[in-house]
Formats: sequence, structure tokens, C-alpha cells
Amino acid sequence: MTPVAVMVGANRIVPAAGIIHPLGNTELSPDEEKALRRRIVEKALQALRTEVVAPTVFGGE
Amino acid sequence: MKSLRVVCYLNQFFGQLGGEDKAGVGPQAVKGAVGPARAVEQALGGAGTVVATVRCGDNYVAEQTDKAVAELLALVAAERPDLVIAGPAFLAGRYGVACGALCAAVQAKLGIPAVTGMHGENPGVDLYRRQVYIVETGAEAGRMLAEVGRLVALGLKLVRGEPLGTPAVEGYFARGMTRHIVAERNAAERAVAMLSAKLAGRPFASEVPLPDFPRIPAPRLLKTLEGATIALVTDGGLVPQGNPDGIEPLNATRYGAYSIEGKAGLDAGQYDNVHRGYDTTYVKQDPHRLVPVDVARELEEQGAIGKLHETVYSTTGVATTLAHSARMGREIAEKLRQAGVDAVILTST
Amino acid sequence: MSIRLELRRSQVEALAAAANTRLSGHRLDIDLNGLRAALEADTRLSRVRLDLVHPGERCRIGRVFDVVAPRAKLDGSDFPGVLGPVARAGDGVTLALDGVSIVLTDQQAENAGMLAVIDMAGPTAALSTFGRTQNVVLSAWPASGMGRAEYLAAVRLAGLKTAVHLAQAAREAEPDAVEVFELPSPARVPAELGHMPRVAYVFQVHSHQRPTGVDEGILYGDPVRRMVPTILHPNEILDGAVLRGFMGRNATTWAIQNHPVIRALYAEHGRTLWFAGVVVTVAHATEPERVRSAFMAAELVAHALGADGALLTKIGGGAPHVDMAQAAAQCEALGVKTTLIVEDMSTDGSAEGMLLFDFPGMDALVNVGSGQHRLSFPAMERVVGADDLAAKLGGEMNATYGTLCGAIEQIGATHVMAVVE
Repeated sequence: MTPVAVMVGANRIVPAAGIIHPLGNTELSPDEEKALRRRIVEKALQALRTEVVAPTVFGGE
Repeated sequence: MKSLRVVCYLNQFFGQLGGEDKAGVGPQAVKGAVGPARAVEQALGGAGTVVATVRCGDNYVAEQTDKAVAELLALVAAERPDLVIAGPAFLAGRYGVACGALCAAVQAKLGIPAVTGMHGENPGVDLYRRQVYIVETGAEAGRMLAEVGRLVALGLKLVRGEPLGTPAVEGYFARGMTRHIVAERNAAERAVAMLSAKLAGRPFASEVPLPDFPRIPAPRLLKTLEGATIALVTDGGLVPQGNPDGIEPLNATRYGAYSIEGKAGLDAGQYDNVHRGYDTTYVKQDPHRLVPVDVARELEEQGAIGKLHETVYSTTGVATTLAHSARMGREIAEKLRQAGVDAVILTST
Repeated sequence: MSIRLELRRSQVEALAAAANTRLSGHRLDIDLNGLRAALEADTRLSRVRLDLVHPGERCRIGRVFDVVAPRAKLDGSDFPGVLGPVARAGDGVTLALDGVSIVLTDQQAENAGMLAVIDMAGPTAALSTFGRTQNVVLSAWPASGMGRAEYLAAVRLAGLKTAVHLAQAAREAEPDAVEVFELPSPARVPAELGHMPRVAYVFQVHSHQRPTGVDEGILYGDPVRRMVPTILHPNEILDGAVLRGFMGRNATTWAIQNHPVIRALYAEHGRTLWFAGVVVTVAHATEPERVRSAFMAAELVAHALGADGALLTKIGGGAPHVDMAQAAAQCEALGVKTTLIVEDMSTDGSAEGMLLFDFPGMDALVNVGSGQHRLSFPAMERVVGADDLAAKLGGEMNATYGTLCGAIEQIGATHVMAVVE
């Protein structure tokens, strides 16, 4: 739903792994899921550190 | 037809009490029409009489709005009016806000129709256009008679229960509210006609106005991540078992604050999910798929972030109104700021 | 060669139970006992009940799950992929009954608050397509142990069988109207009509916010999981190739069978525009799939169909609304002008909440109103299809437009519209 986030003016947007499991993926093993979650969270941290001037989407998985 | 009883509201200046020096004057009523209320009486013609003019200082209303409005309501009610006309306030901001607040209260609490008027940039417009019919006026009293005429005409229609024309026709600010009508053609036919017009370069009228969200300047993180406190927030509907705060599954107006102090992660057995807009099976099985406490805690232990804030904030983001979303966001942000949080990761579905 | 659908339409004005199913003039007699026995042969169902309900009766139909229009192919290839083997839809002769609808009820759903109603009298009847048709209400109960997916598949199949059974009564009748739908392939536009604007329709047939079940056939019986955009001839949609999925308010199979966008484009075809064809899509639950789908749909519209303009609709809630907008944004980026039919998504009646998206070129929107606007329902004398809820559903109700089946159709069949003031 990143276009909605862009439209309402959220400045730092990280696409997650799906509506029903934004920070997971039921097709992966628990370890792989956690690794995926970590990657997305780390991307979020990177986004927080990045200066932006307008709604910015920080790349997909 | 019986002659209507009309009450007018004016501020200290238009009510002829004085200028800024009288802006602190309290609510009072005089019989008959004073100042611009005479123009109202003229516009009413034989349809009604201005039985009283209620006046108040702009600062008195601005500094204690609820109390002032309650006092003004009592004065208005005592006159048993059929219609209340406030202003016009033109560009006077405190006056416009007072007019809007009074009209809204007269409608809501007394059930009496009310109308006001002001310039488009008067803050009273944005605040009250949804609840109150606000006629558009100029910036100053230059064309007062004509503008008062429009206020009175609109007021009379409201009192008589006559159908109103569009905002453009009646001269009031579009209230930004929708209502249903039954069109002659079905939506598909209208869409084909609209597309044909668009392709041919002919004018057409879209049935949905384009949204207009204010730009929010992006804050900068003033610390390094290693020194920052990060909080986790979600609109994915996470709640503790039993939903103790009664967070609504739809149209949420509430959010919860849930402690993760000392927790390495979220135990699925202690949490539930009330969101109605997506299949919550997977996030119930493992709440970390929504709120990444496990990973955030590890990042904290490894020093990648300074601290994981001990409270998670949660609400449901399905069919939440813009007004409540903005309010909840502001409230949560204020709490986080007071707690020394530097940044937030918000998970949305 | 092109496919040619000949729809022979017979108007029904009266409906009654009888010993045999027969159409005499405008009166349809139905052998309810025989039909019921045939439907009960499905072991997934324990019991079937058929009720007849007529416009003007102070009756409310409850637990409404879907509505189907009576249709039968002369050659027997009905609802291919679902009722029978896969076969071409959209060619040949199809019998249709107008003025009669088959209303399917859901007797298994525990939270019946999410299901719709149909009123046969009062102002709510006037607002709904189905308040004005003779209705055959089909109520079926699950055999013990039946899960949701199997039960709904069985109910829907019963509805389709009923649709065919009723329409076959018109086999010998002289139709009241005959409509012919014939559209050559996009590659065969006659030179003299080449100047006309070419318009495509992007039909989002399902949303994967709730994934489909194995027996939840939507496109020739396929549950369209992870479907990438593809092209259909509009006749296929008019003739039973596409059905609504199992979940959904503000959308019925009936509306797809009488597809208003396809009919409106056909009406203008060769006159003010060239109907370039239909791209069907599904709304996805993950962003990468949504991006791929939007991209591919736009490519089909612009380059395979060569369209100048596209009309888009959706089925479902917020995510499909955004998905449709992404496809439209991609079309506009390729120079294809778009018009979208949207449902007003606002939850507080505010104009600013109507849309969940914004993109360049998004200036031509038609709306079907809001399923969330409040609507008063009058008290009724009789409730059909919802015995367990009869007490509650029989009285006055204060609910929403979305509660009234047939008041809002997201693909544009209805007349209710939200205006901003």
C-alpha cells in the first residue's frame, strides 16, 4: 500500500513483505523468516538515517 | 406565514462596543438590530425580525471558547429564535472562529438553523465548514449588503426546509461532505461518456475531487542510530489477549500502549489481533510478523540501535477516519517525544 | 472469423410454483419440488429450500451471498469450467430470462452481520436492482463436517444449475428481445473506422486480500491465484466465463452476467469509439505482484490492444482500489487516458476520504457511492432465507448501503452516486 503512504505524505516508506505478513513470509522456514524480518527492519533503520525531502520509498525486497 | 424570529451575533467591533480595547468584553444581548444586524433585518424584508443582537469580545471567545459558547447559547436560547445569523466575519480570524463555533453549537445543542459568512482564508472556514453553512464573503465589509443578502437567503431556505442548490449556486463553502443521489445513467454509462470526453479533449466533471494532503517536512535524525531510542508502532491491530483497551476492529478511535519492558519478544499466546481488513491468521501465529520486537531487541543487544523503547503503540488501520488517524498520530507522537524517543518504525498492513 | 453471441431475452413478470417448469407468455412456472430434489443430490448439502418472493411483498431476504441471472446455452455449454467442461463462452445462442433473479443465501456463516439483504417493498426496494425482480431464493444447508470453501462451492453450483434450469424454459419461446454481440479481433479494424478512439476495459475480477479456495472458480473455473493479466473477448464475460468469487459485497455474479461496462462500450462501438477488448486482472496482496500486474496490464492495453483510452473497475475493498489505481497510473504513463469507476472509500462522509490514491492523470473518476453511507430499512412482514435472524431482520434497521444487495455494484451497474457538497 505504498502509494497510499506516499499520498498522505509519509516521508520514509519501506515496502514490507505483504499485507497479511508484513514482516514475515509463511513460505519460509522460521529462521529464514526472521532473517527477512531483520533485513526489512535494517532497511527501515537505514531510511531513518537518510535525509529525504519528500515521500521516499526505500526499494523493495 | 408567521414572522421569523432572528438573532444576530456580532463581535465587539461590529457590535459597536469598541475596537481591540474591547476584545475582552463578555457576552451580552441587546434587543433589536445593531450595526450589520440592521442589514440583516433589511434583507429579511417581511419574512422576519431581528429580535436581538448578541455580542461578545473576540478575545473572550478565543481564550475560553467552551465557556463563552455556553454563555452565548444561553443568551440565544432566551430569545427563542427560528434562525441565527453570525457575522459576517470577513478576514477577522478570531471573529470567524467564534462565529463558526457558535453556529455549530446552536445547531447541535439548540437544533436551530444557523448561518455565518467569512472570507475563504479565515481559519473559521477550515475548522467549521463541515458542520456549518459558511457563505463566502470578501476580505472587508465593502459589499456587505449583497453578502448579507446571501446569508439571509440561505438562512431562510434552511428554516423553511427548502432544498439547497450547490455550493456554487448558493454561495457557501463546499462542506466537503458527500451524500447519495440516484443518477439517471448508471456508473458504467457515465464512465464511458467521461472517457470519450477526455479522449476528445472535451471538458468533463470528475465525480471525485482530487485529494489534498499537506506536505509534512521530513524530520532529521539528530543522533546516530547507535545512540538513538527507537519505538515500534503499528496500525495492524495487535492487542493483548482480551483486548483490554477495547480497540475497535473498524473505524478505530482508540489506540493502546503495551509494555515490552524486559521482553525479548512477543509471546503469541499473550496477544491477539482485532484488525478486520486483512487475514490476521499469520500475524496471530507470530506477532513478530507485524511488530518486530525480536529483531529490534537483537539490534539493541548488538548495539546497532541505542535503545528499544519499552512501549509499543497499536491501533487498527481499517476504515479509520482521517480525523481520528491524525489525532491518534499526534497523541502518540507527543507521548513518544516526551519519553525521549528519537525515531519510530511503524508497521502498516 | 469472429465470435458472435446471440442473447435471446424473455421477460418474466410473474412467477409461481407448479408441477412443471414452463414459460407461458411472461409467466414462469417452476417445478420447485423437482428442482429441489435435483439440487439435494449434491452430497455436500444436507437440505435445500426454494422460496419465491415477488416485488411489492413486504418481504426481506436475508443472509444474501450472491445473485445469479438465469442463462442457458442452446448447445448446453453452460458456465464452462464450473458447471461443465471448459468450452468457448461468448459464441452461439444463449437464452436469458429478465425480471427473474436467483438469490443465493449463506446458511453457514456465523457472523451473518456481514451478509446482505434484499428488500421487496419500500424505498429500499427502489434502490436495489433485485427489489424489482421476481426472486427465487435458494437456501441450502451444509452436510455435516462441510468446511466453508466446500459449502460455498456447493451453494454456488446449486445456483448455477437453477439458472440453467429456469432459462431452459425459454427454449421454445419467442424471445421478447434479441441482442447480438459481435466484435472482431483488435487486429481487424476496418480502415474506414481506424480514426475512432480505441477503448479497452481493464476488469479486475478478484482481490486476493482473501485467497481463493480450490473450488472457487472465477475464470473458466480457475481460482485465479497469482493470475497475471490476460486478455478476454468481452463476449466471454457476458456468457458465463467469469463468476464472482465467494466473498464480496457490492458485487454480484448477476452484474457480471449483465456487465454494464461491456454493454456500454458495445453500445458505442463503431459509433463514437472502437471497443478494443478486455484485460482481466486480479488485485494482489504483495507489492511486487501488484507492481508486476499493473505494469503488465498497461502493456497489454497499450501495445497488445493498441488502446488510446482505458476504463477500469475493481471488486473488493481498499487494496483492490489501490491496485486498480496503480494499473491506471501505468496506463497514463504509456499515454493511455484512463477513467476509473471507484467506490467512495470515506468512512466519515468526508470528500477528502473518498480516495486512497493519487497519481498524475487521475482526473476522470466516476463513483458508485459509498457502501458505508447510512441507510434506513423499514420493518417487513416476512423474512426469507434467514430463519434464525427473522426477529432482528424483520424490524426497522439502521444499516448501510452495503447491506442492501444490488444498491451498489462496483462494476458500475447501479445509479447511486456520491456528490460532494
